[in-house]
Amino acid sequence: MKPSKFNWIFGAVFILFIIIIPIVIFFPRVENSISSDPWDNVPLKVPHTDHSAIIEGPFETGPEVTRACLECHEDTAQEIMATAHWTWESKPYQLEGRDNTVTVGKKNSINNFCIGIQGNWPSCTSCHAGYGWEDANFDFSQEELVDCLACHDNTGTYVKGLAGIPVEGVNLLEVAQSVATPTRENCGSCHFNGGGGNAVKHGDLDETLYFPPSNVDIHMGEHDFMCTDCHQTESHNIMGRSISVSLDDENQIYCIDCHSKELHEDDRINAHVDSVACQTCHIPNAATRDATKMYWDWSTAGSDEIEESVHTYLKIKGSFVYEGNFTPIYRWYNGGVAERYILGDMIDPDQLVHINLPAGNITDNPSKIFPFKVHVAKQPYDTVNNILLQPKTFGEGGFWTEFDWDLALQLGSDITGLDYSGQYGFTETDMYWPTTHMVRAATEALTCDQCHGPDGRMDWESLGYYGDPIDWGGRFQSNSYQP
Amino acid sequence: MGNQITRLSKYNKLLLITGISFLIILGTVLLTQGVVWASPGQEKTEQASPLHPSFPFLDEDGNNVLETGYPISTMNTCGACHDTGFISDHSYHASVGLNEITQPGGTVTERPWDISPGVFGSWNSIEYRYLSPQGDDRVDLTTPAWIQLYGLRHVGGGPAMYARNGELLADLPYSSTSLETNIVNPVTGKLERWDWNKSGTVEMNCFLCHTPSPDNVARADALQSGNFKWVNTSTLIGSGIVSISGETYTWNESLFDENLEILPDAIQIQDPTNNNCGACHGLVHDNVEDPLVTLGCSPERWSTITTGQIISPQKMSNSGMNLANKETLNRSWDVHAERLLNCVDCHYSINNPLYYQESETTRPDHLLFDPRRVEIGEYLEKPLHQFARGNSAQSYVAPELNNSMRTCESCHEVGSTHDWLPYLESHLDVLSCESCHIPQMYSSGNQVHDWTVLLPGDLPRRECRGAEGDVNTMGSLLVGFEPVLIPSPDVEGNMRLAPHNLITTWFWEYGDPPRPVILADLKAAYYENGDYHPGIILRFDENSDGELTADEMVIDSQAKEDFVQDRLSLLGLSNPRITGEIQPYSINHDVASADWALDDCTACHGDESRITQPIKLAATSPGGILPAFVSGTERNLAGEIEFSEDGEIYYYPAAAAKSLYVFGHNRLAWLDWIGLGLCAVVFMGVMTHGGLRIYFSTRKPTSLKPTKKVYMYGAYERMWHWLQTAAIVILILTGFIIHRPDSFAFMDFRNMVLVHNIIAAILAVNAFLSLFFHLATGEIQQYIPRPRGFFDRTFVQIKYYLLGIFKGEHHPFEKTTDKKLNPLQQITYFGLLNVLLPLQGITGALMWGLQRWPNLAQRLGGLPILAPFHTIIAWLFAAFLILHIYLTTTGHTAVSSIEAMITGWEDIES
Repeated sequence: MKPSKFNWIFGAVFILFIIIIPIVIFFPRVENSISSDPWDNVPLKVPHTDHSAIIEGPFETGPEVTRACLECHEDTAQEIMATAHWTWESKPYQLEGRDNTVTVGKKNSINNFCIGIQGNWPSCTSCHAGYGWEDANFDFSQEELVDCLACHDNTGTYVKGLAGIPVEGVNLLEVAQSVATPTRENCGSCHFNGGGGNAVKHGDLDETLYFPPSNVDIHMGEHDFMCTDCHQTESHNIMGRSISVSLDDENQIYCIDCHSKELHEDDRINAHVDSVACQTCHIPNAATRDATKMYWDWSTAGSDEIEESVHTYLKIKGSFVYEGNFTPIYRWYNGGVAERYILGDMIDPDQLVHINLPAGNITDNPSKIFPFKVHVAKQPYDTVNNILLQPKTFGEGGFWTEFDWDLALQLGSDITGLDYSGQYGFTETDMYWPTTHMVRAATEALTCDQCHGPDGRMDWESLGYYGDPIDWGGRFQSNSYQP
Repeated sequence: MGNQITRLSKYNKLLLITGISFLIILGTVLLTQGVVWASPGQEKTEQASPLHPSFPFLDEDGNNVLETGYPISTMNTCGACHDTGFISDHSYHASVGLNEITQPGGTVTERPWDISPGVFGSWNSIEYRYLSPQGDDRVDLTTPAWIQLYGLRHVGGGPAMYARNGELLADLPYSSTSLETNIVNPVTGKLERWDWNKSGTVEMNCFLCHTPSPDNVARADALQSGNFKWVNTSTLIGSGIVSISGETYTWNESLFDENLEILPDAIQIQDPTNNNCGACHGLVHDNVEDPLVTLGCSPERWSTITTGQIISPQKMSNSGMNLANKETLNRSWDVHAERLLNCVDCHYSINNPLYYQESETTRPDHLLFDPRRVEIGEYLEKPLHQFARGNSAQSYVAPELNNSMRTCESCHEVGSTHDWLPYLESHLDVLSCESCHIPQMYSSGNQVHDWTVLLPGDLPRRECRGAEGDVNTMGSLLVGFEPVLIPSPDVEGNMRLAPHNLITTWFWEYGDPPRPVILADLKAAYYENGDYHPGIILRFDENSDGELTADEMVIDSQAKEDFVQDRLSLLGLSNPRITGEIQPYSINHDVASADWALDDCTACHGDESRITQPIKLAATSPGGILPAFVSGTERNLAGEIEFSEDGEIYYYPAAAAKSLYVFGHNRLAWLDWIGLGLCAVVFMGVMTHGGLRIYFSTRKPTSLKPTKKVYMYGAYERMWHWLQTAAIVILILTGFIIHRPDSFAFMDFRNMVLVHNIIAAILAVNAFLSLFFHLATGEIQQYIPRPRGFFDRTFVQIKYYLLGIFKGEHHPFEKTTDKKLNPLQQITYFGLLNVLLPLQGITGALMWGLQRWPNLAQRLGGLPILAPFHTIIAWLFAAFLILHIYLTTTGHTAVSSIEAMITGWEDIES
C-alpha cells in the first residue's frame, strides 16, 4: 500500500479505541431504576387562544353561548354527549349475579349521601354539564344544551344555579371570552362540593386543592398540576373514574401512566409494588385540612330542637359526624365493584348494606391493597318490601320543605318506580370512596412500622392474611398464604 | 524470522497485529467479566406468639401469695415450668461481674479500686459510686447500698441475692466490718448493720423483660427504701395485678381465677421488646405517631448519653428534637428499628433454636448450616439468658461471650451491594461496616463528666458533644457529632476501624493504693450546712453575685485546685490529686441505610481524612493535666492526646492508624520533593540545552546534508509506542490526582482510581504483547548493547550531546533500520523497560492485589512500602518523559524524529 501521509490517523484512532473501550466496559455504572422522567408523560398544554376578539355577544342565556361555540367547534357537542359528564349514566353493563345488563349513574342510581336525584333534578343538576335538566323530560340530544362554560370559564365568576342555569349576575359574554384549558377551579367547583358542601363527599377532594400547599398535595401543590394533567382528555373523553359511581376500570388513569413502576431505590419497597397500591403508602391520611363527612344519619332530620351546624346537624339532612385527617380503610381492590346496589334490590335490614363494594381479594392477582374512605349512613328503606327508598327532597312536597318522610318517600317512589308499602324505617348502608388525591411527597410516605408491627394500621386478618406478612410472608410466597 | 513479518505489506501487518491485539483484549474482557449477581434473600423470622398458660404466683416457700400475703418469688413462680436456677446462674445480666470478682486492681481495666469487670464491682463515671473493696477505710457503697442505687438497672439475682463467696446474702453471718452485711449511714458515715432477713433480696426479675410495661417507678421506690423482697412484686403494680398503699401490698383478686391462678388476659408474658431493653440500655421510642422528645445529655439512659444512640423507627424530621437541618433529615434514627427488628433479633439468647448459628470460626468447612439444635420445649425450659453480643469497648464482663453475635455479613450481602466501591476487600479489611454506615450521630452525647466539682443535686459538671446552647433545655440546637474511628477487634480478631465516642472523666484521687474520693467526702469538701462552703463560693464565684451557677463550677485555676485539695486533705485524705480517665464507648446502632451512609471517597482519601480526624476530649482540663485511657478495652488507643491552643484537649488517632496507607491522604513528603526536584532539574537542563542549541545554530547555520527517506518504524512498533505513551501519560495524571485529591477536587476520586487501574491493565497487556513481538521478530537485539567497545561508544555519544551537537556535528551513530538506538538510548530503555516499568507494574499490581494476595503484599511491607516505591518510580517516569520528548528534537530536524514515530518514515542523512 502506498504510504499516505494520513495513514497514521488510523493508528491514532485505533489507540484511542483501545483506551476508551475497556474504560467504558469496566466502569461500573450506577444502575438507576428510575429510568424515565415522569414529566415526559405529562401532556403538553396547547397554547392558549384568546377568545376575547373571537366571541361577540351579547348573550342572554347559556345555550346562546353554546351555539356560538359550536360555530367553530362543530363536533364538540357530540363529543360531550358521548361522555358520562353529559349522560350521568354508564353504558349498559353486565354485573355478576344479574340477568339483565344495567346502567348505573347519578341519573338512576342512589348513594348514601343525598340519596338520589330523581325528582330532585333542579337542585342536583346545578352540577350537570348542561342547561335546563329540571325534570325527567330533559332532551339529551339537543346540542345547544351542552354547557361549555362550566369547564372552560376562566373568570372564576361562572356560577350555575338550579337546573344548571347560570345565576343572575353572571356576565356570560365575559365568561365566554375567557375560555381556556380547564383549571382546578373549573373541576373543583362541582367535584369539591359534592354531597352539598365543601369536603363532604370524597374525602380526598375539597377546596384546599384550589391552592394547595406542597404538603397537602404534591402534584397540585408543588407542581401546580391541573386536573387534566392526570385526567388526560382527548376529544372531551376525560380519562379517570371512580367506583363511587362507575362499575369498572375502563378508561382509568394510573400513577404508572407517568411514574416508573419500580420507582424506589430500595428493593424491599419495590417488593411491595405488586400487592400494595401506590396510593396506600403515598396517601397516609386524607382530608388533611378540611374534615370530611364520615357518618350521616337521616333519621334525625326534621327536628327543630337540635341546634343546627353544618358539621353536626341540619334540619333538612339529619345529623353527621365529620372527621379530618382520617386513616383510610384498606381493602383489596382491582378496579371494579363486587356489588352495586341498584334501585329495587332487596336488602337485609339487620345487615350493613353495601352500596358499592370494591372488587378484589387476596388471591386475585391484579388486586392490590388500596385506601378507601368509607361513609356510613342511615337512610330510609321500606320495612315491608325491604328495599332502599329514594325520597324526594327538593321542590314541592319534598322533605326539605314539608319535613314529611312518608310524603317524600311516596313521591320519590312514584318517580323512581319503586313499590312503596307505606312503612319506612332507617337502615345502615356504607359506601366506598377510593382515596387517590392528596398524594404526599415521597418523604412523607408511610414507613414500615406504620403498617407492620404491633402498632400497624393494617387489619391483616380481615385482608385475608394469616398474620403480619413481615412474619408470615406475603401472599405470593410459598411459606405463607395458600389459597 | 522477524524479517518474514517485516516483509509483509504494512497494511497486512497492521491487520495482523490489530487482530491479535483485539482477540487478546476481548479474551481478557470476557474472562474478567465475572460480575456477581446476588438475589435478595427473603428470610422471614417467626415471632413466637404469646401463649402462656395461667399460673399461680408463689412466694419464697412455694405457697400461693394470695393466701400468704408474702412477696412473689419469681424463682418459684416461673420456676414451676422454667428452670429458673439455671437461668439465673448463667446470665451475665444477673451476675454483672459477681462471678469474676478479683483483687482490687486485678481487672482488665487496671483501675486500682475495681474488683470486678461488671457493674457490680467496677467504677463508672456516670454514677460515680462504686462498690468499695473489702478493707477500704473510706467506704462508698456496700452491697445493700449497691442494690439500692444500681438495682434499678439490674435485673436481680446475682449480687442482689448472693454474696461474694457464693452463699446467699440472707445466710451470711453478721460481721461488723464486712461490706456485705453493713451499710454506710449517710449521716454519720459509719457502717451500720443491714438485716438481710428483714429486707430480703432481689431475685432475678422475670417481669422486667417479659411483660410489656413493667412498673419501674414502683420498683425504684421499693429498691430505694430497702424493701428488696417486694421489688419484683412492685414491678406488677402498673398492670393492676397488685396495688400498694403505704407499705401494704394488696392483690387484685378479680384478676385471678378460682384456682387462684392469674387469668391469662391479666398478664401478658412476651418476648422482650425494644422497650424492655430500652428501659435500662438506652432511649427506645417505638411509637411513630408521637414525636420523640428528649434532652440529649440527660443522665437517665446510659447508652444514649454515652453515645448519642437513639433506637427509634421515627424519622428524625418528624421528631420533636431541635436538630440542625431537621427538614433534610428524612431518615429514621435507626434503620433496623424502622424495619421492625427487635433487639433480641440480633441479641438473641445463645441457645435459642431459631436464631442460633454456629460461628464462622468454629464451623467446619464442609458445613453451611447445622440444623441440630435444642428443641423448642427444651429451650423454653432452660433458656440461656446469656445474650449474643458484639465486642463493645465499654463492657468488660463475660469476655467469653464477646463476638457471639451475628455480624453484619450474616444477614447482609456485601459484594453485590458495594460493586461501586473499588478495592472492596481492602476497605473491608480496614473498616468495619459501622465506620461508613454510622457516619454521624445526630443527637448529642456526653463528652466530659467532671467530678472535680459538684453541682447542686450531687451532679458533676458535664460537657456535651453535639449540642449548642444550654443542653438542659429543649432549645439547644442539636448538631450531632462525628464519632472517632478507633481500631477495634472484629470477630476474627482483626483490628478494624470502628466508630466510638470518648468520654473523659475528671475526678479527685487520693491515697496509695489510689482510690477515687467518695461522694460523701466530695460533698463534705464542697458543702457546708446544706449550701456551698463559703470558701468555695469565694473562689468560684466569677461574677461575684454571691451565687454559684453551673458555668462557674469548674476548676480552671491553681487557686481553686489548691483550695479543694486542702479541703479534701482536711478530711484525712492523703495526697488528693486530680486525675483524668478516658473511656471509649462503641457505637453500633443508629445504622443508616445506603443513601445516608458514607460513600464520598474524599471523606477519607484526602488531606482531611475521617480516619485521622481528631475528636475533642474536653473543653478544659481541671488541674491542667492530660487524661489517660482506661485499660482493657482491646482497642488500639495509641493516638496522641494533646492540648490545643485554647486549652482544649484533643485525641489524634493518627498514630493508631499508622499501619494504614490511605491513597490521597498518606504520602512521604520528602519523596515528593525529591521527585519534583528531579523533574525540575531535568526541565532546567533541557531548556538550557535547547536554548544553547538554538543559539549556536543561529550563530553558525549548518548546511543541510542530503537525506533520504527510510522506513524506520513499522506500524505495530508505532502503535505500541503511542499506546504506551498515552497509557503512561494517563497513568501519571490519574496517579497524581489519586496522590493529591484535594488539589483536584473537581475530579472524582473513585473514577480516577478506576481509570488508573484499567489503563494500567492495558499498559501491561501492551507491554507483554510488545515483548512477544520484539522476541519473535528479533527486534529485541536492537536494545541489547554489544559489549565490546560499549563504554567507548557511550562516551562518544555523551561527548556529542555535550559538545558536538552545538557545533553542528553529525550524529556519531547514524540511525539505520537495524540500529535504531544509540548506546545511551540502549542503556536508558533497557533500564526503563526492564527495570522501572516492571517494578512500577508489579508494585501497582500488588497494591491492587492487596485484597487478593494479602500475604504476598504484606511480606513485602504492605502499602506503606509499596506505595512510596510506586510514587518515586512515577516521578522518575515523569522526569524521563521530559527528557525523552526533548531528545526527540535532536534528529535531522527538530521534528523529524517525532514525524518518524508517527508516519514511520525518517529523513536519514545519506
